[in-house]
Amino acid sequence: MKENTDKQTYGLLAEFKNPAHLMKAAKLTNKAGYKNYDCYSPFPIHGMDDAMGLKPSKLGYIVLGHAILGFTGALSLISWTASVGYPVNISGKPFLNFPAFVPVTFELTILLSAFGAVFGMFFLNNMPKHHNPIFNSDTFKKATDDGFFVIIESDDDLFHDEKTRAFLQEAGAVHIETIEK
Amino acid sequence: MHHAKITDNLTYPEHENTHKLFFGIAILGAIASILGYFINPEQFYFSYLTSFTFYASIALGCLFFVMVHHITRSEYGVVLRRIPETYASFIYIFAILFIPILIGVETLYLWTDEELLATDKLIAGKSPYLNIPFFIARNVLYFTVWSYMGYKLYKNSVAMDKSGDWGLDTAQRKIAGPGLFIFGFTLAFASFDWMMSLDPPWFSTMFGVYYFAMTFQVFFAVVILTVLFLHKKGLLTNTIRIPHISDLSRMLFGFTVFYAYIAFSQFFLIYYANIPEETLWFYHRLEGNWENFTYLLLIGRFVVPFLILLPAASKNNMKLVGIVSAWIVIVHFIELHWIVMPTLHHYGMEFSWIDIATLLGIGGLFMGMFFRQFRKENMVSNNDPRLEASLNKH
Repeated sequence: MKENTDKQTYGLLAEFKNPAHLMKAAKLTNKAGYKNYDCYSPFPIHGMDDAMGLKPSKLGYIVLGHAILGFTGALSLISWTASVGYPVNISGKPFLNFPAFVPVTFELTILLSAFGAVFGMFFLNNMPKHHNPIFNSDTFKKATDDGFFVIIESDDDLFHDEKTRAFLQEAGAVHIETIEK
Repeated sequence: MHHAKITDNLTYPEHENTHKLFFGIAILGAIASILGYFINPEQFYFSYLTSFTFYASIALGCLFFVMVHHITRSEYGVVLRRIPETYASFIYIFAILFIPILIGVETLYLWTDEELLATDKLIAGKSPYLNIPFFIARNVLYFTVWSYMGYKLYKNSVAMDKSGDWGLDTAQRKIAGPGLFIFGFTLAFASFDWMMSLDPPWFSTMFGVYYFAMTFQVFFAVVILTVLFLHKKGLLTNTIRIPHISDLSRMLFGFTVFYAYIAFSQFFLIYYANIPEETLWFYHRLEGNWENFTYLLLIGRFVVPFLILLPAASKNNMKLVGIVSAWIVIVHFIELHWIVMPTLHHYGMEFSWIDIATLLGIGGLFMGMFFRQFRKENMVSNNDPRLEASLNKH
């Protein structure tokens, strides 16, 4: 503990007894104004998003952006190639033949939307991430079994080693430990 | 999870005479239609066929939904199910309503014309299928099967309200399984008979799916409108809640895309292959002001509802969902008009007052039958095994 400076501390890990306590702690943490914190549990807990004050995901807008890009990109590419770049007479149909362009436009819209959804999700989740300092904690392994955790990271503006520890204690933590980087 | 209970009054109020109002409309519509028949019989038959396919599609969409609901053991749909069940419980009226079409079969369908059959080999070659006795036999089969399935599914469901016997849930699935299989064939062939054979040289193997896609899109619009109507009367407001309606809106959105996919695929394959006997059908629908309606359908039935319903927030906006649903019902009628009428008016839409008369006549009867049946029983099946899950939906 003594050699710990703020730089080396990743955050404070607090364990809670059950999902209800975790939910209450999440509400309190959110209310106290902490921004860089997260909750971990072995299974999804309904209502957690609201308790933590999480806003709806921005993923939809990322997907929409990609969809519009795919739509306009495909339409301009195929229009240009079919009517300006390399016009070919196909059974006497016009060069600028929109019904024929629909499949390509549709496919490219879907393709880019799917890319936007998958890679946008990676981006929003800070993935790929090869190591997370909370794995340094042995107690944290319970998060995949029967542990319910709140972690408040040290780079939060409100973070203060003693005060945050006291706050978590008050919130009902059964075990608190410091996570090192 | 807390135990949810139905807190609403489950019966349609006694003093409400909604069904009588609709029966009144039906009588007025019928009188106007008969008048129309004497003034312009040809127009009457075509208008009648348009209105008939319009309401039949609503009832059949409901029948399909109820069967899908049972076979998937859907939870979200339990509180909604009585509405489509009721719509599908009296399909037998369509068997009676089909009689005028049988009377006018020689006016409506070219393939009945003996003189034409003698000269036109293409149409004559189809006469083993397209002849009056077989046409009648097929339609008798369709209406028998649909009426039986709709009535039985409704009766079992109502019986479960009273007895609480969950074994009926299994009985429902036993109807729904084979029922869906039969439904697919009968709906497709009915659409070939009613609408595709108006232009006997023309054929599209996708036409059955196309009619189904329209049917199922408008089905969600009709159920949403019915629920909003009940809410406006202050009924079932705590039972069918916003999460249920937004689910219906999601399905409406999904089947708007499905409709566009099917309708465009049918057009696209015919357009690209460019074989005269196939292309003519669309050629007629791009003549005169029919062309405007072709574009109206593309934009009005797909692009606009798609863009409006795309954001998550709009599916929770009941006013917006109601407007889009009403619009889709209107466009559905325009599309059936666009399918049927070019056989009579080749060079452009000539909207006739007889269209309105038949629409009100059949519509009044259809909606009147719905409300007459709806007030007899509970508005929600209150002993369903999955009722609680449905009430708890969020």
